[in-house]
Amino acid sequence: MPNYLCMQRSLPGGGSEKPSPAQMQEMYAKFGAWREKFKENLVDMGGKLGAGRLVTTAPATDGPFVEVKELVGGYMIVSAESLEEAIRVARECPGLVRPGSGVEVIEIHTP
Amino acid sequence: MSTPQLVEHFFRHEYGRLVATLCRRVGVQHIEVVEDAVQSALMAALQSWTVVGLPDNPSAWLFRVAHNDVVGELRQRARRRSILEQYATEDIGTPENGPELFLAREVQDDLLRMLFVCCDEAIPEQSQLELALKTLCGFDIREIALRLFTSEANVYKRLGRARSRLRELPPRTDGLTGEQISSRLPTVRKILYLVFTEGYLSSHAETVIRRELCNEAIRLAAILAEHPIGQAPETFALLALMHLHAARMTARQHGSGGLLLLEEQDRDLWDRQQIQVGLVWLARSAQGDVFSRYHAEAGIAAEHCLAPSFHETRWDKVVECYSLLERIAPSAIHRLNRAVAVAEWQGPAAGLAVLDGFEPPTWLAGSYMWAAVLADLHRRCGNAHTANGYRTLACKAAPTPAVKELLQRRLQIGNAD
Repeated sequence: MPNYLCMQRSLPGGGSEKPSPAQMQEMYAKFGAWREKFKENLVDMGGKLGAGRLVTTAPATDGPFVEVKELVGGYMIVSAESLEEAIRVARECPGLVRPGSGVEVIEIHTP
Repeated sequence: MSTPQLVEHFFRHEYGRLVATLCRRVGVQHIEVVEDAVQSALMAALQSWTVVGLPDNPSAWLFRVAHNDVVGELRQRARRRSILEQYATEDIGTPENGPELFLAREVQDDLLRMLFVCCDEAIPEQSQLELALKTLCGFDIREIALRLFTSEANVYKRLGRARSRLRELPPRTDGLTGEQISSRLPTVRKILYLVFTEGYLSSHAETVIRRELCNEAIRLAAILAEHPIGQAPETFALLALMHLHAARMTARQHGSGGLLLLEEQDRDLWDRQQIQVGLVWLARSAQGDVFSRYHAEAGIAAEHCLAPSFHETRWDKVVECYSLLERIAPSAIHRLNRAVAVAEWQGPAAGLAVLDGFEPPTWLAGSYMWAAVLADLHRRCGNAHTANGYRTLACKAAPTPAVKELLQRRLQIGNAD
């Protein structure tokens, strides 16, 4: 099965409302259920991405630089039969696809 | 690796514990910094634990993260204002390795201390209540508004008022004095009583939500009752009445959510174990010669719990408790309740006689309860016309469809008694 890179992207229009402790408890439980359901697909849970910089042939002192963190919140790698299946895994991940956040799913071709 | 389970209400209760402990350490005037840090620490936990699993001691993990955050933030502020290292307490290590920092006893102390801080005399009662729900129970503004049936803006405003009072407190007022503790103890009980009744009596919220409030009140009241500073007959009576009411909560609704009258309730659904716990506390409350409103209310609840059936209830004892309650805490609602109990004991005419010449205050006169009791008593006395008038009023004033449905069922003219 091919692997897919899933990258969380911040989108405009997201509410900045913080979840309450009770909601966090709910999210924790949902996340656990999701991991259990797709344990065969979850190759690498990845993590959050910090600051980064686009490196090009242009001299380093020249801007503007793309700050990676502005675009991508985190990544993970899933394995799936098809892009559709990978999308299903990512879509069901709690808190990933919601107002203000989306996920980019990209197939990884390994030689 | 699967995600291990957390105990029920883990995040909410950790929120309360962390706010209480950190406020003691850095001073309650920094409550906003503390609350922000606790919120962030819980978010960090959610993100980290779902990926790498639970740490060995989740509570200690949270404490270290939140504590480091608070200390960092206060240091930065101190630097900015060049007020020096007053708050820069010891660095206590990274989240992964650090000493165990608290004992159960200390946590209870901190929670209680925070409860007494919430009951500051300069904070209005409603704000005290909301501050306690926010800081000790870990409800957010939206959840508090839902539970107290008020707007988020109101809760926000009242919490702001409470916090600005706490900010004014002189720095590092760590110990509340013994005098402050004993003078605030009645307020602390009152706030816990309010949390409980908001849950128990609310005709608005869903059962789950209401029960949760009752359980929070019981949790905090139990901590109070088991701590030297709270050990008093009034506290025991308060805890007794909470258990004795909570024991009957499930039976108050039928399967589809409608309300049931006491006489319609299936007494097998009452929680016997909870009743036992309530009775133990009631017995403890009988030491000494104090008789508070909590004693009277617990006494009434106990009579209902102990009665094998509605008709075998010792109504004379119930009436006696209501009379005592009226004397200790005069309120028109207690008189109304006494009239109901007298009617069960000595008949509907005797019940009406209790209300003879009694002018109810407007809040009661306009409520469905007043109209419903009069409709019922008049109906049972055979005064169909008067009963009908009150019945219409009662149904019109009913706050929810469930209450209205109950009234229509109970107050039907011609309903055999």
